Amino acid sequence: MRASLFGKKIIFYIAIIIVWQAIDSADIWPDNIFPSPIEVGEDLIYGISDGSLFYGIGTSMWRLIVGLAIAICGGMVLGIFMARVETVNQTIGSLVLGLQSIPSVAWVPLAILWFGLTDSGIIFVTAIGAIFAVTINAYTGVKNIDPSYIEAARNMGAKGSQLIMTVLIPAAFPYMITGFKQGWAFAWRGVIGAELLFSFLGLGFLLNVGRQLNDVSQVIAMMLVIMGIGILIDGFVFKRLEDKVMSRWGLR
Amino acid sequence: MGKIEAKNIEKFFQHDGKPLKALGGVNLTVNDGEFVCIVGPSGCGKSTFLRILAGLEKPDGGEIMLDGKKLDDTGPERIMVFQEGALFPWLTVRDNVEYGLKIAGIPEKERNEISNRYLDMMQLTQFTNSYTYQLSTGMKQRVAIARALVMDPDVLLMDEPFAALDSQTRDLLLVEMQLIWKKTQKTIIFVTHNVPEAAVLGSRVAVFSARPSIVKKIIDVDYKRPRVAEDENLGSYEKEILSSLRHQGPK
Repeated sequence: MRASLFGKKIIFYIAIIIVWQAIDSADIWPDNIFPSPIEVGEDLIYGISDGSLFYGIGTSMWRLIVGLAIAICGGMVLGIFMARVETVNQTIGSLVLGLQSIPSVAWVPLAILWFGLTDSGIIFVTAIGAIFAVTINAYTGVKNIDPSYIEAARNMGAKGSQLIMTVLIPAAFPYMITGFKQGWAFAWRGVIGAELLFSFLGLGFLLNVGRQLNDVSQVIAMMLVIMGIGILIDGFVFKRLEDKVMSRWGLR
Repeated sequence: MGKIEAKNIEKFFQHDGKPLKALGGVNLTVNDGEFVCIVGPSGCGKSTFLRILAGLEKPDGGEIMLDGKKLDDTGPERIMVFQEGALFPWLTVRDNVEYGLKIAGIPEKERNEISNRYLDMMQLTQFTNSYTYQLSTGMKQRVAIARALVMDPDVLLMDEPFAALDSQTRDLLLVEMQLIWKKTQKTIIFVTHNVPEAAVLGSRVAVFSARPSIVKKIIDVDYKRPRVAEDENLGSYEKEILSSLRHQGPK
């Protein structure tokens, strides 16, 4: 089963490359508009051999990790408070819903004004793009905890931070994972978007350099790298974490 | 003076915006080491009363006394066993059982010693590293009882813990519960809607009236233990409980 699924995927992607090459060979568009897969591959290999690609990936990933870590910590604290303190929910809760509707790139002008063209500015955009998804899922998770868990824990003497650490967070964790996953997706979009506009290192910057040089194959190569990293992190980090949590919690 | 005393407990609920009196002044005194069952028509507030005893809800009137001292919060001297167990699915059986001890800051070695005793008593030694989703409903309730017992509470409060069990498992646990009671000498207050269960377990059975509930009658079940559900000699007690449940009058 698994092998045949993998086989299907391989065949599908090979087919895409063949069709792509066929369209290129038909010479409908000039090469500087529609590059062949080979040219894109050469660009990738060039990026690998001179190290610029790894440097770009490293820079973007570092910003992503710092921004996402801030978003996860902040979002969990905010979400738990919203779920447990009605006043916080009624006030900050409505603001969170509003702020969540702002696309992360819309924070870029503010970030540039506040932080200048720095790493901090990009990390700010990344974190703020992800934090509200984490918040809302943490809030929903805590709200949906079976009240008898909390009562049982209180009955056995847990209160305050002990109650939060030993019951609220683990009980809400399946929801929180969803929040982390959404948060990561928003953060990744945020990082690339911010790098495009900040034009200050990273994969988004390399993408923009490709545009400035009229190098379509570099643009496509960078887009493939961005997509590939997305698939890898989704599949290897979040899917695994989710599977583990779901089976441990008996939800699957 | 009893071990735990409820004095004139009143509780209101909001129902369609109007206050609804659930408990109309419940008086109950339970002595040290006694096994008292509470039965009552469904919706009479017997579970609410138990939750008030546990300190998980506040009464709108009256007071709860433990050893003559007024209580106003939940505390580890009154541990509740919930209807569905309320076990933590993210913890193993052992970690569930040790939860309260961990919260109390008891070091691991000591925790293990205590939990081993009760895991053994509840016949859970094979399952210490299982997660709760891997257990049957009956096993889960065993874990829930072990988790309560490790706290060494003065009073064990049980809210229909066997309601979701099949009859075989229930019969087994009814006998075990009596043995545990004898071994641990705990004061137990056990809420159930099942009359035979009350007759098997209770030294006394408190019958609640319909809303607003009061303790309508207390029936002494003076019969040798361990009792089994199919013992015909319990029939007369069951009849007495049933007849006082039935003579409720219009709601």
